[in-house]
Amino acid sequence: MAKVLVIADIKQGALKGSTAELLSKAKAIGAEAAVVAIGSNLEALIPELANAGSDTQYIADDPGLELFSAGPYASCVVDAANQFGADLIWFSFSESGKAASPRVAAQLGAACATEITDVILNGDQVEIIRPAIANKVKQRVKINAERLVAVVRAGAFEATEGISGTENVVRLATPAADVKAVIKELISDATGEIDLADADIVISVGRGAKDQTGVDLIRALADDLGAGFGSSRAMVDGGFMAHNKQVGQTGKIVAPTLYMAMGISGAIQHLAGMNGSKVILAVNKDPEAPIFNVADYGIVGDLFEVVPLLREEIKKIRS
Amino acid sequence: MKILTTIKKVVDVELTINVEAGAIVEDGLQYVMNAWDENAVEATVQLKENNNAETTMVSIGGGEDNTKIIRRGFAMGIDNGIQIDDPTLTEADSSVFARVLQKVYEKEGYDLIITGKQAQDTDNGQTGIMLAEYLAIPCVSNVIAIEVLDDQHISVSRLGDNGTEIVALELPAVVTVTDSINEPRLPGMRGLMMAKKKKIDVMDLSALGTSFEEVGGTALKSEIVEFMKSETREAGQKFEGDAADITAKVVDLLVNEAKVL
Ligand SMILES: Cc1cc2nc3c(=O)[nH]c(=O)nc-3n(C[C@H](O)[C@H](O)[C@H](O)COP(=O)(O)OP(=O)(O)OC[C@H]3O[C@@H](n4cnc5c(N)ncnc54)[C@H](O)[C@@H]3O)c2cc1C
Ligand SMILES: Nc1ncnc2c1ncn2[C@@H]1O[C@H](COP(=O)(O)O)[C@@H](O)[C@H]1O
Repeated sequence: MAKVLVIADIKQGALKGSTAELLSKAKAIGAEAAVVAIGSNLEALIPELANAGSDTQYIADDPGLELFSAGPYASCVVDAANQFGADLIWFSFSESGKAASPRVAAQLGAACATEITDVILNGDQVEIIRPAIANKVKQRVKINAERLVAVVRAGAFEATEGISGTENVVRLATPAADVKAVIKELISDATGEIDLADADIVISVGRGAKDQTGVDLIRALADDLGAGFGSSRAMVDGGFMAHNKQVGQTGKIVAPTLYMAMGISGAIQHLAGMNGSKVILAVNKDPEAPIFNVADYGIVGDLFEVVPLLREEIKKIRS
Repeated sequence: MKILTTIKKVVDVELTINVEAGAIVEDGLQYVMNAWDENAVEATVQLKENNNAETTMVSIGGGEDNTKIIRRGFAMGIDNGIQIDDPTLTEADSSVFARVLQKVYEKEGYDLIITGKQAQDTDNGQTGIMLAEYLAIPCVSNVIAIEVLDDQHISVSRLGDNGTEIVALELPAVVTVTDSINEPRLPGMRGLMMAKKKKIDVMDLSALGTSFEEVGGTALKSEIVEFMKSETREAGQKFEGDAADITAKVVDLLVNEAKVL
């Protein structure tokens, strides 16, 4: 039986839904599933880690692990992988996963695959599917090494309803701090706003919104809907939106039920971050904008005119 | 400070890419410098301008297009160019490229290695980080700012899951840079002319003092079996005309047809 080790995705002390998604996939392929949680103050999360679908919980809990540092983080994963005898080691789609996975693979002599969307087990042969070239193609990749370290693309797997696990905690030794790469400071980007990854509706603002007035106009629509508020790179570069709001290849990958692109042209790097959305609505004044090639519904018009109308119409149906 | 910057020739992602019988159709493709490597080159040239660095770039790959991207690097301001041209490396993965880069590093010794965060053809984001592991030197990925502290230390900012992390790095080290670190300069005519005259140091694996086997080429950890087309979305309904009318229409469709509002 294959053994899957899932690295718990913990953000601001909370366990993200992706952890249960990866554990569900592990069970779906008939594997034995364990989870490794790395950070500080994790005690309260242990029952949740088990409930997410794991039968062993490797816990590296130490104040020194509070701030992410790729070296010690990778050491914890390697330790857990060796103790568990993991064949498959899966990270959720996150900056920590992207930073740690090649280290873990190098240390274990394992194959490394980023942004996988599927895993196929054929007896002992493991194959994975992943997009490449900004989502323009997909690759089917045969794994030759004994072990595979992978980062799973956001939204690739679904959590199974009613999945459960058992509590069986193994404490990991705290690895030495990386004295050659010392975290001096974390400038937190926590805003209290809904995390794009968790949002059922995401509304993103592009250069078409021009300036702060346009951004505020669209933010009001996001507030009405309780939607996540994202951005194209142009508005991040322009200083109107924070880095952690960027959707796209260098930003967040989102796959909400509804994605609204407001004044976004639809560059390939932006599409790579949102074209897995269930339904896409685009508002753009240029009828030829490439975003309309992927949008289910397109409104050709000036967003400064259309967004207030959208708010009105939505208020009507909601009351 | 001696800086080694890695640059890769990649297919131009803006153009159509066709897949036939499990392979990418080569016909009609064009090749450019990987966008994130342009950011790496720009970051390097800025360090040279502000801190007097000696700069070298390395590219693993062959052909006219590969020469072109090295010339572009010269034109942007890099001093020296190394090209590892070996026909055995066409199927290489990130781990193998990292092993080759390790040999390049060990030949000369450098204080800082700057790579792009990801190659646009593989979208792996692995090579720089694995290189640091193989060299057993520190590494910070997804970097948006580099500041020199002294001969042995730099400070870098990276975009992490919870915000911007400021990290003090002891040299030698690897950093992988993302696109928000800078806006790569466009080389001018004069730079491009001068770049044509510069000598590129071309080597194969044996000239580099290694072999295909030693860099892991004969024991690939994974292999691409086939390429497939991505599912493309169909263009849906597009509405033009009176803004109030079409907005009301679309909201109605979102509620009653798509059932997402
Ligand atoms: C290596 C690399 C990585 C990248 N990563 C990302 C990424 O992660 N995310 C990302 O978004 N981009 C990324 N980019 C940048 C990307 O290529 C585009 O430059 C960017 O997405 C453009 O943003 P935009 O659509 O807001 O702006 P533009 O392309 O300028 O489009 C603005 C649109 O607004 C429309 N418009 C103007 N005025 C109005 C109005 N009043 N009402 C309605 N519509 C209007 C215009 O018709 C136009 O279509 C990356 C680029 C590179 C090279
Ligand atoms: N063949 C190569 N030649 C030079 N640099 C490379 C090569 N392959 C990868 N790199 C560097 O490693 C980075 C990450 O590549 P990848 O791991 O393929 O995403 C790239 O941005 C390059 O800077």
